[in-house]
Amino acid sequence: MHLDHTEVETDVIQLPSPTIFPMVLALGISLICAGMVTHVAIGLLGLVLTIWGSVGWFFQVFPHEHHVAVVVQTEEVTIASTRTLTDRLPAIETQRAILPVETFHITTGIRGGVAGGIAMVVPATLFSLLKYHSIWYAMNLLAAGGFVSWAGASDSFLGQFHLQGLLAALIIHGVVSLLVGLLYGAMLPMFPKYPIVTAGLMVPLLFTGILYSALSIISPILNERIGWFWFVVSQIAFGLVCGFVVNLQTKVRTPQFRALPFATRAGIHSDQITRPSKQNGQPDEKDPSQ
Amino acid sequence: MMATQTPVHAVLDQTSTTPPRRLVLEVLHDWIATVDHKKIGLMYIGYALIFLVVAGLEAILIRIQLAVPNNHFVSPQTFNRLFTMHGTTMVFFVGMPILFGFGNYLIPLMIGARDMAFPRLNAFSFWISAFGGTLLYFSYLGGDGLYGAGSAPDVGWWAYAPLTAHAFSPGHSTDYWTLAVLLSGIGTIGTALNIVATILCMRCPGMKLGRMPLFAWLYLVMSMLVFVTVSPLTAAQIMLMLDRYLGSHFFDTQAGGSAVLWMHFFWIFGHPEVYVLILPAFAYANEIIPVFSRKAIFGYPAMVAASVGIGFISLSVWAHHMFTVGMGAGANAFFTLATMVIGVPTGIKIFNWLATIWGGKVHFTVAMMFAVGFLFQFLIAGLTGIMLSAAPLDWQLGNSYFVVAHFHFVLVGAILFMLFSAFYYWFPKMTGRMLSERIGKWHFWIFLIGFHLTFDLMHIPGLLGMPRRIYTYEADRGWAMWNMLISSGGFIQAIGTLLFVYNMIWSYFKGAVAGADPWDAWTLEWSTTSPPPDYNFAKIPTVESRRPLWDLKHPEDPDSNYE
Repeated sequence: MHLDHTEVETDVIQLPSPTIFPMVLALGISLICAGMVTHVAIGLLGLVLTIWGSVGWFFQVFPHEHHVAVVVQTEEVTIASTRTLTDRLPAIETQRAILPVETFHITTGIRGGVAGGIAMVVPATLFSLLKYHSIWYAMNLLAAGGFVSWAGASDSFLGQFHLQGLLAALIIHGVVSLLVGLLYGAMLPMFPKYPIVTAGLMVPLLFTGILYSALSIISPILNERIGWFWFVVSQIAFGLVCGFVVNLQTKVRTPQFRALPFATRAGIHSDQITRPSKQNGQPDEKDPSQ
Repeated sequence: MMATQTPVHAVLDQTSTTPPRRLVLEVLHDWIATVDHKKIGLMYIGYALIFLVVAGLEAILIRIQLAVPNNHFVSPQTFNRLFTMHGTTMVFFVGMPILFGFGNYLIPLMIGARDMAFPRLNAFSFWISAFGGTLLYFSYLGGDGLYGAGSAPDVGWWAYAPLTAHAFSPGHSTDYWTLAVLLSGIGTIGTALNIVATILCMRCPGMKLGRMPLFAWLYLVMSMLVFVTVSPLTAAQIMLMLDRYLGSHFFDTQAGGSAVLWMHFFWIFGHPEVYVLILPAFAYANEIIPVFSRKAIFGYPAMVAASVGIGFISLSVWAHHMFTVGMGAGANAFFTLATMVIGVPTGIKIFNWLATIWGGKVHFTVAMMFAVGFLFQFLIAGLTGIMLSAAPLDWQLGNSYFVVAHFHFVLVGAILFMLFSAFYYWFPKMTGRMLSERIGKWHFWIFLIGFHLTFDLMHIPGLLGMPRRIYTYEADRGWAMWNMLISSGGFIQAIGTLLFVYNMIWSYFKGAVAGADPWDAWTLEWSTTSPPPDYNFAKIPTVESRRPLWDLKHPEDPDSNYE
């Protein structure tokens, strides 16, 4: 920032001149409104003020805008900081490189979500067939969350084919599968050693737990009639297939990769990172096990 | 500790330090005729503070009426007028003006400009809003009413149809409300236009959009929202006037009109209005939290994106106020999801403020204490908002005191707390005097206790089924103890507010001299004197980073090296 008094060329500054006409115009319009609820004379007074204010304002800016000259004088002011001089903490250049240098492409998550969503249909249809002798029951049950009129639907109604049920279930299932697939694509690189176990078992169980506690609010009809065993099975099917498909894809490099030294990017040197020790700020020895 | 002292050549008015005593009329004329953004900003703030006291007194009367069961402290008619005037005043004549006041005062200073883009329009916008408020309260004196007994509006701040029809609202009380809000709307749009033009066209050299203070960004988004949301309200007011004066039937259900149409018009204004009010509070937090954490704001680009995101999403949530109307499952699902989605950018903001505080050298001045209170209370308000966004829960809790508690957590717990913070932070710039930190801490703690006593507990009678706007209640409902505690909290808040008013008056005359930059801050308003001269800056500054004063104070490590 520059603030240099030597650059001040004049000792006056032109500012817009004060004027009462904006206030007069505002008062005029207000009195016109007030006239509607009080007396016509008030409205007429408002009209006069409105015309006076408008004309006065017009001549404030036409043909030339009125200005007032304000005298200025430079004076030395000290701007002081109580802060000490900046002293940056010791940090090595590659510290930021602990951000992932590779991740999955966004389409990976979409593919995983689509595959997982298809896999999930199998146990859901089995549940329908074995318990209600109809392949449409689970689909309609899912769709019922979106239709208030289906809240009290009978089992036989839900066992029949309904085009609107199919469309609603497709939208709900498709959107949720895609979103969860995207989440998997983003999260799988962060999981520890056994991503398939985490993605295929832990996350579905966690998700089931959350849904178990919230389903009565999200979809009361689904909550009443859902078979939780089959639900867990279908979630695991989704997790395993989605995780498998995601892991099959090739990772792409993130912008962090470009920040690595050329020798590392070229594969000549390892990209292993040395990190400062918490005690003395010195880099630790590289851990040979990593 | 080493202190860096950088001599800066700033400018000062040459006016003598002991000016000759001026006549009251001269002073009055100066203020009435002024087009200076700083004076207009101060007039906005002063006018809003007067209405804050008035609306606060109305709230106290409401709480006295509800403190005990079977109470008849005021009549039912008076009670209806009280909550109508309280809501209308707080939203249109306290919230909007005070936020515009701070914006008016600070935006040109922060972006290195000498005034707003349209100074005369600025004055006009203030005066028409002020006259709107005056007209509203003139209804107590001038309204002839059904029995000629004075008729302030009594239709609630939302004025649902068909309650506003001539058949149910005879006399002029509703007309006063309509006209006052209409006038306020004209002023609001004028000021919003001014803010947008000023920010887009009058930034100083070097201040690209990406270097602009977040304060200005938030006001830009807020002003854009005003364009989109106040216009439907103004249109609806005109339609209502046509219904009442010329016999049209926009909202007359018996003649083919639609009462639900009014609800849509009102809430497409009403809910984004909450964001119009809260975005400036975010703006203050964006400036105050970093300064007192001694760190640059965390995630500037994400904060900008979240602000713009909130602006857009807030336009698609209005009908969550209408879940009980019976809109159908599709609309309910859409507005539930949209309302929940707005939690995402809002959450980003909260995390970024926390990340700014995290690891910082936090100075717990009164301004920072109020800002921390804001963070905590806004989080609670957001969480109850998420609860209410679920249509099934809203069917149970809609129009109950739970909703009243929720939005007061937003309006008082978040916005008013951040406004208090802003007063403690910028009062030295506006007056040249520091507010007393000692009295300020008393103010903070007393107000905090009163706030939580009132609004934490207010959720409970709501859950127990107490409807909002209820005049009185039977003793066997189980609400009596809660209401007594809630009303007690209201009085404690009033004591805290009185302390604040006393602090401002005392400090204005006796407070410590502030100097140009009492907080060791980083934005341009602190580079000029306190209060600033008429022209703000003798030489328009050139900036090279988001924290121009930091660069000036720390030439060894300017931000421009990293941005």
